[in-house]
Amino acid sequence: MANARALDKRRKSIRNIKKITRTMELIATARFKKAMDRATAASDYTRRITSVVSDLAKAGLEVSHPLLEEREEIKSATLLVLTGNRGLCGGYNGNAIRLGVKTRERLLEQTESLQVEVSGKRGVSGFEFRDLPVDQQFLQFDDQPQYAEVVEIADRYLREYAAGKLDRLEVTYTKFHTVAKQEIVTETLLPLGKLEGADTPVEDGEKKQENLYDFVPSAESILEEVVPTSFKVKLFKCFLDAAVSEQVARMIAMKSATEAANDMIKDLSRTYNRARQSQITGEIMEVIGGVEALEG
Amino acid sequence: MAQLQLVIVTPETTTFDQAVDSVVLPLIDGEAGVYAGHSAMIGRLGPGELRAKVGSSTERFYVDGGFVQIENNVVTVLPGVSMPSADIVLGDAKAALEQAKAESAGNAELAEIKAKSIAQARAQVRIAEKS
Repeated sequence: MANARALDKRRKSIRNIKKITRTMELIATARFKKAMDRATAASDYTRRITSVVSDLAKAGLEVSHPLLEEREEIKSATLLVLTGNRGLCGGYNGNAIRLGVKTRERLLEQTESLQVEVSGKRGVSGFEFRDLPVDQQFLQFDDQPQYAEVVEIADRYLREYAAGKLDRLEVTYTKFHTVAKQEIVTETLLPLGKLEGADTPVEDGEKKQENLYDFVPSAESILEEVVPTSFKVKLFKCFLDAAVSEQVARMIAMKSATEAANDMIKDLSRTYNRARQSQITGEIMEVIGGVEALEG
Repeated sequence: MAQLQLVIVTPETTTFDQAVDSVVLPLIDGEAGVYAGHSAMIGRLGPGELRAKVGSSTERFYVDGGFVQIENNVVTVLPGVSMPSADIVLGDAKAALEQAKAESAGNAELAEIKAKSIAQARAQVRIAEKS
């Protein structure tokens, strides 16, 4: 039977760790709510942009733009992997890195020149650990990515794409569906492919009349602006989703850590009580034995 | 008098959502005033100042471009960045202008991007100098 004092010491240290994980859980919950609000605000913007695009399509405009068209030959590609700056969030970083590495291999088969960019300290160290080169790293994104910072990166991609230095952009990140479901995905952001709302069918008759807008200065000019904006917002959404998913992952990881600590404390308490009991029994037996020896 | 609802939504947040009397929009080819009862319209914004009249006071915002959608007396403005005009710092705006001028304009698309950043910086300088 283990020594009661050692058991008590262990129990105390577990209790301390439990306090930390519990606090981290609460912090993650608060950050998750904030990140979630931002993601909701962004989807509000996306929804309105989508409605503009579908109005453009309804007006009978052919939605086409250089950013939407697939290039025949992919000479150079960029892979962007979004991870967190911090650990202690379950499999969040590991899963993103794993899919990132897999995507990297797939892209290397398709193209000769591949640029790998990683956001988040964990991702950078994960790639370094595997001896994979990281061409560019971003560490400035935390639980609240700023639109201006994302736009800076997006503008660079747009410039490279326009200059012909970039033919394909893929982003590996954790997509947020619900609190219970997040998914690691790789999405192709350049070329954009299709714009959401672009294939709204042109309806006949009265319905068409209702939706007639004046386009100022012209539908084409608006389209010219809509496409790059959609790209920027899409990239921004990736960053937001990754941030929300990170907080959810941390929340869940810390919750189960706290629960595990509770279980361990329960177990240890039981063993501790038993050890204490048997120690007392032993001492009583000794005393009785001594008394009996004296009497006898 | 009938009122307009002005909503300014950026990708980060909803900056402004309030009933106003009239709005002056910085469209890409010049300013346009909007009163209640305006016909449905989708417009492309240029960098500039958006002014909204509420009673006797005027709300001023810098917008960096984007779109505006007008429908049923609701004016939805969708810029990338929007902030109250008073928040623009003249020094920063001038620095941004210098930086934009220094960018390369190697081909047609790059030149377009350069022209855009110059226009945005100029609009900021203009607003900051005025206020």
